[in-house]
Amino acid sequence: MTVKIRFFARFRELLGTDIVTDVAPGMMFTSLITTVSRKNPAGYAAIFDENGTFHEFVILMKNGKRIEIADAAKTPVEDGDEIAVFPPVAGG
Amino acid sequence: MLSEREQERYKRQIMSFGQEGQERLKKAHVFIAGAGGLGSPISLYLAVAGVGRITIVDMDVVDQSNLNRQILHFDRDIGRKKTASAEEKLREINPDIMVNAIDVKIDETNAAYLVGGADGIVDAMDNYPIRYLLNDVAIAKEIPLFHGGIRGFYGQATTIIPGKTPCLKCIFPKAPPGEVFPVVGVTPGLIGMVQATEVLKYLLGIGDLLMGRLFIWDGMQAKADEICVKRNPGCEACGGVVKTARNKK
Ligand SMILES: [Zn+2]
Repeated sequence: MTVKIRFFARFRELLGTDIVTDVAPGMMFTSLITTVSRKNPAGYAAIFDENGTFHEFVILMKNGKRIEIADAAKTPVEDGDEIAVFPPVAGG
Repeated sequence: MLSEREQERYKRQIMSFGQEGQERLKKAHVFIAGAGGLGSPISLYLAVAGVGRITIVDMDVVDQSNLNRQILHFDRDIGRKKTASAEEKLREINPDIMVNAIDVKIDETNAAYLVGGADGIVDAMDNYPIRYLLNDVAIAKEIPLFHGGIRGFYGQATTIIPGKTPCLKCIFPKAPPGEVFPVVGVTPGLIGMVQATEVLKYLLGIGDLLMGRLFIWDGMQAKADEICVKRNPGCEACGGVVKTARNKK
C-alpha cells in the first residue's frame, strides 16, 4: 500500500515533500515518519528529540485530521493516507 | 460621514464595497501587535484602506538589520523607536485616520488593557508566548485574532473567531523553540497582505474568512496550501469558553 507524506516549512527544506512511499500493512504513524526523516539527520533532529519522540510542537495530520503525538505510535497508517507534518511558523 | 477628500481618496475601493463599507472601515478600530516584518505592510495597507483607528504596539528600536523587511522604517530611522517611526509614516500616508503607537512590551498584565475596545487583533508578533496572550485576550473579549507567521520563504495565516473557530492554542498547543529566524521581506509582505485582507473582509462583513483553515504559503515552490483545522474540546485556552457562553443562555 502507498501513502503520501507532506512536510511543511523547515521540515520541507530538510526533507522535501509529497513523498509517496510503499508501506507494509500495520505500519504505525511514528515508525513511518521516523523512517522517512532518517534520510537527513538534520531533518530527523528537527522533528524528533534524542529519545526518538516527536518534539512537542510538531503538528501531525492524517487526511486532514489531527493525530495527537501521544497516539502516533499506536496509530496505523492506511492505504492512500495523506499525512502532513509541520511546525508552527513563528517569525513576524 | 465621509468628507469630500475621503470620497476622492477611497473612490476606487468604494466601487468595490460601497460608501457604507467605507464608513464601516472609518468607524473601525484595529489593534496591531508589532511594527516589524508583518506589522509594517499590514499597518500601511490598513491605513491607506481607511481603517479609522489603528493602534500599533512595539517595544523595539529600528536596527539596520530590520530594513530588509520592515518597510515602515527607513534608513534614517535607525536607532529610533519603531513606534515613533510607525506613527510618523502612517500619519503621512493617510492623514484622515487616527494612529496611536504605543511603545511597550505586551505582557499578561497589560495585554487586555492595550487592546481596549478594538474590533480585532492583528498578530504581527515574532514569538508564540505573546501570541498566546493575544489569543487569550481575543477569546475574553470575543473579538477576532488575525494570525500570521513567517520563516524564510514560508508563511502561514488563519483567522480566529472565538466561539466559532479553533483558537491559536487549538491549532498550535505548544510553542516551537525561540530562534533567530531567516526572513526575506517578500514573505511577511505576502502573509501580511493575507492578514490585512482578512481584517478588511471581517470589518466589511463580506467574503469568506480563513475560518478553520490554515493558509500555508511556500514561496520557494510558489504553492499555496490549506489545512483544515478543528477545535480542540480540551483546549486550555478556549475549551471552557463555549461552556460559559452556553451557561449564560
Ligand atoms: Zn482553543
